[in-house]
Amino acid sequence: MIKNSWLVVCSVMTFLIWGQQAYGQDETRSVSIEHAQGKLSLSETPSRVVTFDLASLDTLDALNVNVLALPTKSVHDRLAKYSGKPYVNAGSLFEPDYETVAALEPDLVIVATRSSPSFKMLNSIAPTIDLSVWGEGFIEQFKDRSSTLAKIFARQSLYEKRLKGIEHKIAQVRSFSKDAGKALIILTNGGKISAYGPGSRFGWLHYELGFSSVLTSDDPEQASNIGTHGDPVSFEFIHEANPAWLFVVDRDAAVGSARGAARALLDNPIIKRTQAYQSGQIVYLNPMNWYVIAAGLNAVDESVTEVLEALQKSVSQK
Amino acid sequence: MIRATIGGGLVILALVFISLVVGNTEIDHNPLNWFGGVNDQGDQDLEILTLSRIPRTIALILAGISLSVAGLIMQMLVRNKFVEPATTGTVEWASLGLLLCLIFAPGLSVIIKMVVACLFALFGTGLFMLLLQRIDIRSDAIVPLVGLIYAAVIGAAIAFVADQAELMQSIWVWIQGDFSMVLQGRYELLWFAGCLGVVAYITADQFTLAGLGKNMSENLGLNYTLVFIWGILLVSVISGITVATVGVIPFLGLVVPNLVSLIVGDNLRYALPWVAVTGAALILLCDIVARLITFPYEIPIGTIMGVIGSLLFLYLLLRSEPHGQS
Repeated sequence: MIKNSWLVVCSVMTFLIWGQQAYGQDETRSVSIEHAQGKLSLSETPSRVVTFDLASLDTLDALNVNVLALPTKSVHDRLAKYSGKPYVNAGSLFEPDYETVAALEPDLVIVATRSSPSFKMLNSIAPTIDLSVWGEGFIEQFKDRSSTLAKIFARQSLYEKRLKGIEHKIAQVRSFSKDAGKALIILTNGGKISAYGPGSRFGWLHYELGFSSVLTSDDPEQASNIGTHGDPVSFEFIHEANPAWLFVVDRDAAVGSARGAARALLDNPIIKRTQAYQSGQIVYLNPMNWYVIAAGLNAVDESVTEVLEALQKSVSQK
Repeated sequence: MIRATIGGGLVILALVFISLVVGNTEIDHNPLNWFGGVNDQGDQDLEILTLSRIPRTIALILAGISLSVAGLIMQMLVRNKFVEPATTGTVEWASLGLLLCLIFAPGLSVIIKMVVACLFALFGTGLFMLLLQRIDIRSDAIVPLVGLIYAAVIGAAIAFVADQAELMQSIWVWIQGDFSMVLQGRYELLWFAGCLGVVAYITADQFTLAGLGKNMSENLGLNYTLVFIWGILLVSVISGITVATVGVIPFLGLVVPNLVSLIVGDNLRYALPWVAVTGAALILLCDIVARLITFPYEIPIGTIMGVIGSLLFLYLLLRSEPHGQS
């Protein structure tokens, strides 16, 4: 009898403890997230992560989360440490190497924008999320995607701290930019120039950071027609638009070829006649952050900071 | 003939004038006000003209002349009317040379890049000629077909190199014909290509003879091999320079000589000036369209030339059936 009651007590205790653990596990580890192509619930914090999205890599890097594999050929500058061992090359930004991914047996795969068409195929290999950032509402989308990652990897407090810093800087930029005059964003590629409007991938410089655009006021219809890849323009176009601020994204530098090509391209008498040149307000943006990574935590922080510094420098000179 | 010359001259003058006044900055349409120094507006007009519009217009004329002349010489050398440097691998080889420069030595000066492009074009054209010698040419369609296949193979090589260097998106922007970045100081190498067009005119008779074929022309006392090599050299250098300075402009070298040959025949001494003028007129027209169609933005002239050129070419193919068999 005594033996029996001990058995009962023990089994009840075991059950209780086990139940408690299971319950506790549920509370801290089970995360369910919505992403661009569906929902995913994770019962554990992923430890074998493959990312095809450099923005997510950048955010994970900022949150001290390690990854297993990525497109190692496409990382430069700040992310250069990911270009070799121990990181595995998982393909290109656009084309996953499915066999490598399958062999790695990841518990989370991240795709976005450039790699989002591969979502279905990857999702059949391993749990996959699509963290694409498209069109307007860049900062909102950036917050959503990066907070998703912070949630998945339980790094909320670190994330909140970084986000607060960024929001503070954005507020500072806005306080300067509203009186800073009109701006134009151009991208240089292979010795040619495209203009980007508020509706484009760089448009958040206008609607989030508060610069008015030279393209909107005169001809709204034309401005809204500017696609995500910009429109080819001549030097005369820039001369005629005569922006107070000229923001330059050097695409060739972003993909790792010639540096300083944009500077040489813009060094001509037509550009020298613009207001932006004459008041020293041609800003060469970090092309890796703006063109390749875009919505990463460090990238957004640095992008906002470099615009803020350019504004502060210009104000202090006046 | 005199009437045609005057007419052609007027058309060119009109196109040059339109090319000078069309652009983002508004310019006084009365040329007399450009130089008077009447007011600030006049000074600004003059500056925009000398820095941007005149260089662009000259660059267009030089490219138009040299490319259409190169097309004509190419047609004489291979004795087929349906080829031009862009369909025989010459332009592709020049682009490949340029791409390799951009990948391995992006800091090279424009002149060195241009020389590399010319050498690649020369090698590629030579290879094409050797290829033709080994092929039994039974119909007029064979030469352009071989040329297109050959050009496509080199195009595939370009795509492979670009893919390896992660430059797939950039490469087509780099080599697509576009005059929007032409400014004073950035097109002058084209003068050299234009000069080659004039040199070609001086040696026009030799090319006419070479166009009769190796045996016939040697019987007439021509040093065929020398003329042949000289022709390849001209075509390659013109292609190299234009690709390196303004990119690939398709169809010009193909349609212009065919259009002219319909009217004045195949004697180069008569035909060349007309080829040059027509080439300049067509490229000016295409560039003006490229500037206006999405104003204030631009469309690369390569695209416009592709559309207009292919339409003209189809027209020529359909109407000149007997010519094709000649």
